[in-house]
Amino acid sequence: MASQMPFWLEKAIAWGQTDTPHTRNDISLHLKRLRDFLQQLLSEISSSSTTETLNRLPLLGQLLGRLCWNSHVTAEGASRGLLLQCLLALYSEHPSNAVERKANQWIQVETVKINSNINSNLHLLLFCLHSNITFFNISQTSHRCSCGSIWAVSEACVPLITCPEASPLIGALLQQQMTCIRESLSENFLDALHSAYSRYRKCFYCIFSFLIFAIELKFVPLFQTSASLKAFFPQSPPSLLIPLFTMPSGQCAHTSSLSLSALTPGKNAQNSPVGNHKVFEAWFLLVQCGYWVQMVVQLLVTSGPEDCGPLLWLLTFYHHPTNRWHHRASQLVRVFLISGPSLAPSLTLNLLVNFATFGQLPQSISAEITQKVSKLSSLKPLHSASHLSCYHKI
Amino acid sequence: MGGKFNPAGRVSLLLLPSLAAHSGVVNEWNEQTVTRAFHWARYCEHIYSRFHGNPVIRGVLEKQLQLTNHSLKEAFPEYNAVSILDLGRCQDLLLLWLLNNSALPISIMKMLFETKASADSTSSDYEDVRGLCNQIIQCKSACTVLRPLLGGPSVGAEVQGEMLMERLGSALSQSSDTRRAEDFLSSVLQKFEVAAEHLCPVIAAALLTTDSAVQTASQDFLLDWLQSRLGVLQHVCTALPSKVLADLAERHQKFRDAFCKLLKKWASEMEYRVTEGEWVHAATNSAVSFQKMTEHYLTLFEACPSLRTEIEDELNAQRIADGDFDVRGLSVWGDILLALRK
Repeated sequence: MASQMPFWLEKAIAWGQTDTPHTRNDISLHLKRLRDFLQQLLSEISSSSTTETLNRLPLLGQLLGRLCWNSHVTAEGASRGLLLQCLLALYSEHPSNAVERKANQWIQVETVKINSNINSNLHLLLFCLHSNITFFNISQTSHRCSCGSIWAVSEACVPLITCPEASPLIGALLQQQMTCIRESLSENFLDALHSAYSRYRKCFYCIFSFLIFAIELKFVPLFQTSASLKAFFPQSPPSLLIPLFTMPSGQCAHTSSLSLSALTPGKNAQNSPVGNHKVFEAWFLLVQCGYWVQMVVQLLVTSGPEDCGPLLWLLTFYHHPTNRWHHRASQLVRVFLISGPSLAPSLTLNLLVNFATFGQLPQSISAEITQKVSKLSSLKPLHSASHLSCYHKI
Repeated sequence: MGGKFNPAGRVSLLLLPSLAAHSGVVNEWNEQTVTRAFHWARYCEHIYSRFHGNPVIRGVLEKQLQLTNHSLKEAFPEYNAVSILDLGRCQDLLLLWLLNNSALPISIMKMLFETKASADSTSSDYEDVRGLCNQIIQCKSACTVLRPLLGGPSVGAEVQGEMLMERLGSALSQSSDTRRAEDFLSSVLQKFEVAAEHLCPVIAAALLTTDSAVQTASQDFLLDWLQSRLGVLQHVCTALPSKVLADLAERHQKFRDAFCKLLKKWASEMEYRVTEGEWVHAATNSAVSFQKMTEHYLTLFEACPSLRTEIEDELNAQRIADGDFDVRGLSVWGDILLALRK
């Protein structure tokens, strides 16, 4: 811990000296490591007295003070939280010596300073930026490349990925059409989204938004992916992975309801070629990323009845894509489940296999299901067993 | 005004936040006490907002404040005098007074700096102050990070808003009558017709700049002007998002009143379309939707919680006047109430 202090203090000093794109980039690159370091610091501070801590880490006060004044660090939720906790953890309720009394005083002064001059029109700023970006979107017809500005805004938004106020702006950034060959969104931005996303893997509503994105966006075959996204979606461009990263879950639910309503055919387009094409594109993408369907089935088996609706909808769409009955999907699914497997045999099999594997059922029931599966699919029992075993994570 | 409420008679109550926050009594405070203190500070801001523009009441208030400050200072040496301008930013000051008070328990400090786990804003009585400082720092930092993006060749709304205030201020100070200022704003209005979208954020920024004695006068003038130009006000309230309008309403009583009046006007102009099953604004090319209107109300309540009961009562009175129906589609007031209570 003590060995890392000089490194971080040097960083904090350098970051505080100038505010250039280079500094901001450096901060973005180090934010995750800084968070881990602050977490360790917090445990250390909490486990001993302030006197002992300051003896061990004499540069601590300087470091915390400098970091508290760096807006790029404090704009990010987790690092701000850890930083403030470290600061307050140094406060001694019953100071036993001059060092602790001085530390208390210093903490008091710092907390007052960082809360002063509270004139921030965040909502207005966000609105202006949002307007600028959507304006860029609309003015694409002039073929003026706005990449530089979009890049700058995305880079600035790196610490704000998890800030709920900023999510409309982030959504707008991700939605802007990428017609320029150069990457519009900063790599740091995409990486930050990716790590924010991986904390919420089970957000199944994201899958819907994923679908609607395929429909809403132009299917741009620019397979630009940042290295971190390649692991999940080797074929898809980052622009199609938008809602997967739009957090928090309130936003996801909102986007999912948007997506469901958008998929319902409009009054004019009953069975138009354009409509059919859109549906096909969405389905094609889903097939490309079959991993998601697997995830959905697993979730379906393990989640409560109230969550089933959207999951069943996605599953039925995967097995039976059509734009004619989406708004009656839940009705049909109910019919299908009651009347038996005649409607979509592959879906039934998929469901049964997953229930047997992940449903946490007693052994005898799993065996029964396996037998049923082999009968339905006319597979020899050996085949269905091996099919099951590939899902077991032993 | 009548004898309904005379703030000058209760000046000592207005100084309560300052008195309490500077004394050792905070040592025994808990979360509920802190919340109540902030509610009280909000009340002081409300008083300032309502009466600072009234020269008679303002004069009386100032005199009373001076006298009470004096006697409090004699009785409590640690007491800090509070001016009428201070009343206008009582919540901000209360926070600083508390943080500056070494008798404040560390548990309260930790509560103020707490990181909220979720951004769920369902109101529970004591959620106002939990994480308040964390929220403030987040806003400040985000602004510092985003502000430079609006600079460059197209200078941002904030800077233009400040410029507007400056020019208006100088126009007002140059002559005893308001004609110069009126002319200036009329020229702004002309530009407005050409670039309306652009000017709405500028007007908002102008009204949201920090209060100093000079700016208050300019902001007041701009607010009066806005109230008298319904078209401009309507455009501003259509172009700007709910959150910005709520910020404006929180800051300026006049804007709050004008905004609420406008929302009522919009509601009264709505017609129910049976085929679509929703309320639609009757005017041609109207950008106002029923959904947007309810969103405005909800965001407004978040910023000004005291408004909720008042407005719900008004809406209910209108609903009853409409026939006291409980069915959807018969009274816009009833349907708004339904939407607000979801």
